[in-house]
Amino acid sequence: MAVFLQSLISGILIGGVYALIGIGLTLIFGVMRVINFAHGDILMVGMYLTYMIFTLLGIDPFVSVLITFPLMFLFGGFLQKVFINRVLDALAQNQILLTIGLGLIMSNTVMLIFTSDYKILSTSYSSATIKVGGGVSVSTPLLISFLITAAITAALYWFLLKTDTGQAIRATAQDRDAAQLMGINVKRMSIIAFGLGSALAGTAGALISPTYYIFPQVGSVFTLKAFVITVLGGMGSVVGATLGGVLIGITESMSAVYISSGWKDVVVFVLFLLVLLFKPSGLMGKSRT
Amino acid sequence: MRKHLLALGATLVLTPCLMAQKIGVINSMSGPEAPIGENITNGIKLAEEDLKKKGVNLQLVWEDDTGKPQISMSAMEKLATRENVVGVVGPYTSACSNAVAKLAEKYKVPLLIPAAAKEEITRQGLAHVFRMNAPADKYASSLIDAAASLGKPKTIAFIYENTDFGTSTSKTAKDYVATKGIQVVADVSYPKGSADYRSTLAQIKSKNPDLVFMVSYVADAILLMRQSREVGLQPQAFLGAGAGFTTVEFAKERAISDNVISCTQWTDDVNWPGAKDFGARYKAKFGKEPTYHAACAYASMIIMAETAKASGGDRTKTRAALKSGKWNGVMGEVKFADYDGFTNQNNHQMLVQQIIAGKYETVLPAQFATKKAIYPFPKWK
Repeated sequence: MAVFLQSLISGILIGGVYALIGIGLTLIFGVMRVINFAHGDILMVGMYLTYMIFTLLGIDPFVSVLITFPLMFLFGGFLQKVFINRVLDALAQNQILLTIGLGLIMSNTVMLIFTSDYKILSTSYSSATIKVGGGVSVSTPLLISFLITAAITAALYWFLLKTDTGQAIRATAQDRDAAQLMGINVKRMSIIAFGLGSALAGTAGALISPTYYIFPQVGSVFTLKAFVITVLGGMGSVVGATLGGVLIGITESMSAVYISSGWKDVVVFVLFLLVLLFKPSGLMGKSRT
Repeated sequence: MRKHLLALGATLVLTPCLMAQKIGVINSMSGPEAPIGENITNGIKLAEEDLKKKGVNLQLVWEDDTGKPQISMSAMEKLATRENVVGVVGPYTSACSNAVAKLAEKYKVPLLIPAAAKEEITRQGLAHVFRMNAPADKYASSLIDAAASLGKPKTIAFIYENTDFGTSTSKTAKDYVATKGIQVVADVSYPKGSADYRSTLAQIKSKNPDLVFMVSYVADAILLMRQSREVGLQPQAFLGAGAGFTTVEFAKERAISDNVISCTQWTDDVNWPGAKDFGARYKAKFGKEPTYHAACAYASMIIMAETAKASGGDRTKTRAALKSGKWNGVMGEVKFADYDGFTNQNNHQMLVQQIIAGKYETVLPAQFATKKAIYPFPKWK
């Protein structure tokens, strides 16, 4: 029982961070119909930013989210304005090539600056735990990052549902042309959406850096994960991405215990395929025909 | 005219001696294996310098395999056919080395593998494939022997990454513990790069093993130990086989790395000729402590280059000279022998070490020991 609870709890906590990554990707896709294959690399940039803020300024990784979030927002907005904006009407494969290229440039630039050495961010609480009882313990940094994730997700929901800008973003996601006809500045919405998506990815990077490790190629792991989460939840659905993230976290954790660690990715992808087979638009997705 | 002819004649006569020995290097210089690949690169660079001082003119052709076997293979084809190298030193990982070994045999290019652990590589009877480091079975047997000599372990849990290196090391370890009467209570492989091992470790904890045997590369080693502490996994000893448990980065994480027992191919405090000096010069030049990979790569390049020169740059002669030669240097005595089903395998002496107060200290075998081993593993703070 302790093992079951332990894996359920770690699954949910890790899933929260996955959700954050997925939401960023789904937001970008929803508004621009561009699949951002540089998403993991943006997360990696967020990790290095956190690492630098921690080592140079001595600011705690969780506090530094306050700095990372706006900086990554600007970075994302810049990427959209200078690069992505030019291919919005291009063929899907050209958009994919562009984002993959941007990702490669990011990871290789970081490699030139920081070398390919693994960076480990060691805080006083990096391996601290809270004992819950019954032999179950919760990792303190993971718990904190889950709480921050939950807060950010809640704030994002509020932003998308209640504010004018949020509604404009959703309108653009629903129908770009109609939104434009209604007087919404879709170009600005695109910049905001990409900025938000990048900020969320960067924040996810900041949140996992105290418990994970940092290296220039770390992004590829997360790009794939974000992609699975987004498609599983339904492309463009924020609720779906949240659900998908937590679901994948739990699936990984559970299958590692009850099937085999080596097979956990297989279980995740089988689940992914099953969802696609029976509900091709994803858990929360609406088909667009 | 006569002068010109004379000059031409002189060049023709002198060329074979002056001609640079063209040797290929395949290494993981970028990609996830790059942090260890860098040690190999630096070791070879130091060897290149030393060879120059000794008058061995070397022309190295560098190939980056990014840690992927298919890229490693195309690099080998290029080196063998287009670059026409005398021999090749590398690649780093077991998966790449195993893929390249068969090509080396096909093109009849002597290949000296510095630091890949998978046993099978030198167990296929390939005449052109030589290996400097001790293969995976030595990691396992020397660690388990060490634990058995320090205490009386009855049960063991295995956790390893599902790569060539991980599975082959733990497989031989499982075979070995069977002969020692130690019972395997958990056997878990994981895909590398996972963020969360807590559930797996909690499962292992519930089996309460005496020994925990781990096989990982750099970053996962730190993660595994951190999360072991989180879930309160408390065996008599943590045994870390190779790569990730023998890096400076790992030792620096004192809260979780102290008292972990690992084994290595090389340390700079061992009394093999030139080992101390190599360590000091490496540190002065690159500003980092060398890992065993650096020493393996250094020794491999020295042997390959000197043999190639003595054989006048001929592949067949170089192969024969590698086979019959005997060296003594930073890696101790080196001889490529056939034994226990291995071909051209250097029967290398492994050193068992423990991290004590943030430093790697050799604890076994006794003639090389710098400190006494701490056993059992102290309670987590």
